[in-house]
Amino acid sequence: MRHPGPLAIPLLATTLVGLTVLWAFPEDLGFWRSVGIVSGWAGCGLLAASLLLMIREARLAAWLGGLESMYRWHHRLGISAYLVLLAHPLALAAAGWSEAPALGWGMLAPWQQNWPVWLGWTALLCLMAGLAAALSPAIAYARWRVLHNLLALAILLTLGHLLLLGLDYLLLWSPLLALAFIFWRFLRADLGLAARPFIVARVEHPAPAVVEVCLRPLARPLAARPGQFVLAAFLGGPGFRGCGEYHPYTISAIAPDGEISLGIKALGDCTRHLQEVVPGVAVRIEGPFGDFLGQRPAGPAFWLAGGIGITPFLGVLRSGPLPYPVHLVYLHRNDADAAFRDELATLAKGQPELALYVVACGDRLPDLAAMVPQAIALSGHDCYLCGPPGLVAAAVRLLRQRGVRPARIHFESFDFR
Amino acid sequence: MMRWLFLLGTSLFWIAVLVLWAAARWLPPVVERPPVAAESRLTIDEVARHASPEDCWMAIDREVYELTRYLPEHPSKSGIVEPWCGKEATEAYRTKMKGRPHSAEADNLLTQYRIGVLE
Repeated sequence: MRHPGPLAIPLLATTLVGLTVLWAFPEDLGFWRSVGIVSGWAGCGLLAASLLLMIREARLAAWLGGLESMYRWHHRLGISAYLVLLAHPLALAAAGWSEAPALGWGMLAPWQQNWPVWLGWTALLCLMAGLAAALSPAIAYARWRVLHNLLALAILLTLGHLLLLGLDYLLLWSPLLALAFIFWRFLRADLGLAARPFIVARVEHPAPAVVEVCLRPLARPLAARPGQFVLAAFLGGPGFRGCGEYHPYTISAIAPDGEISLGIKALGDCTRHLQEVVPGVAVRIEGPFGDFLGQRPAGPAFWLAGGIGITPFLGVLRSGPLPYPVHLVYLHRNDADAAFRDELATLAKGQPELALYVVACGDRLPDLAAMVPQAIALSGHDCYLCGPPGLVAAAVRLLRQRGVRPARIHFESFDFR
Repeated sequence: MMRWLFLLGTSLFWIAVLVLWAAARWLPPVVERPPVAAESRLTIDEVARHASPEDCWMAIDREVYELTRYLPEHPSKSGIVEPWCGKEATEAYRTKMKGRPHSAEADNLLTQYRIGVLE
C-alpha cells in the first residue's frame, strides 16, 4: 500500500489535536484560564496522536510511511504533549496569580487541593519520570520497557483526573482514544495476537557471532519483499527458551513456499542467546515492515553494507538476477567475521550486473572516501546504506559532499526505543 | 534534540513552580474583598429569586454569594453546580467529590463573591 506522503502523520496529529481543542474550547473565560484549559486538551490530543503511532500493524505502518517514520513522530508528539501539559497547571496558576500570588500557588500546592488535582499531579509526574527513562540511552532495554509503562499509567491517571473533575463523557473521547491505542498495542503487538506462528526449520552459523535462522510458516505465510524486516519473538523449543521479546530482524531470504530467513548478529542479551537457537523452536512474527530496497527505482544503485547490514542486500541477490547495475561495498572487521562472504562471491559470479567489493577494515574506521565511487560515477545512482549508525552517518555525509541528493540516499536506523 | 527539549521544559517548569511558591510565600497578600454594603442581610426567599445560571446566588455557611460571574470558571460540568443556584448550598459545598470539602483556595476565592449574610 502506498502511503499518502510525508504530511500524513502531521495531518493526522493536527486533526486529533484540533478536534479535541475545538470540542472543549472554553468560552467567556479569562486569558490564563483559557490557556490552561486549551493546553490540557491539546496535550490529550497530542498524546492520542503519539500513541496511535505506537501501534504495530503492517498495513498502518505501510500507509504512514513505515515504522521508522511512525516512531520518529511518536517521539516528537510525545515530547510536544509533555511540554504542552507542563503549561496546563502553570497557566491555571497564572489565572490564580492574576487575583493574588497566594491563589496562584494555591492552584498547585497539593496540600491545598483535592483528588482531581492530586491525580493530575501524579499523572504529570509519571509522564516526567517515564519520559526521563525513555530518553536515557544508558538504561538497559528490559528496565526501559518496564519504566515505559509509567507513560501508560500517566494516561490512566489523566482519565481519572478528568472524570473526578466531573467532565462530560463526550469530552473524554481523546484520553479514551489514547487508552484504546495502548490496549490495541498491548494486545496485538506485545501479547502477539497480530503475530503469525512460525517454527525454526534450519539454523546456520555463517560467522562466529552471526546466526541465520530459516523459519517455516505454520499458518498463512508473510507477503514480504527482499529488504523488508520483521519483528520476531523466539519462544520455546527442544532444549532452548528464547527471551520472548519482539526485536527487528531483516529478512535475508524468502523462499517460494513461504519460508523466510533472518540474519541475526549477537548485539545484546537476547540476540546473544539466539546464537544457540535450534530447529523446532516456536517463533511469532509481526510484519513485514519497511520499504528499504522494496520499491527501488529501476536504475543503477550503490549499496554499502557494514557487518550484519549485508542481510537486506543478500535477500535481494538471493531472489534473482539484478535488472540494473549495482556497486556493492561490503565492509567487515576481519575474514573470520565476514558472514556470507563466500556465498556473496558465488552469487556475484551469476550476477553480471553486480560489482562486489568485500573490504576488511579491522577495528579502525574504514576509509570511506576511498571505497565510495567518485561523484561522476554516482551520477544517476540511488544509494542504499545499511550498517552501524556511525558508518551510515559518515557515508551520508560523504555522499552529500559528492553531490548525491538526499532523496537518492536510503537507509533505515532500526531505532525503535 | 528530544532529550534537550525534555530537560529544558522540565527545568523551566520547576523554576516556574518555585517562583509561584516564593511569590505566595514572600509577596504580601492583595486579595481585595468586594465592598459589602454594611453587612446586607438577605433572606433565603430573596436568595431563591436568583436561581438561574444567568443570575445565581447561593447561601453557604450563613453567608450569601453572587456566583453568576464565577459559574463559567468552575472546573466541573455545569450540571453539578447550577442546580444549587438560589438554594442553601452549605452541605453541597462541604461534600463535593464523595464527601471531601472544597480546598482552602476555593474558600479564598469564594470570599470575593460574598454579597451579604443570611438572615
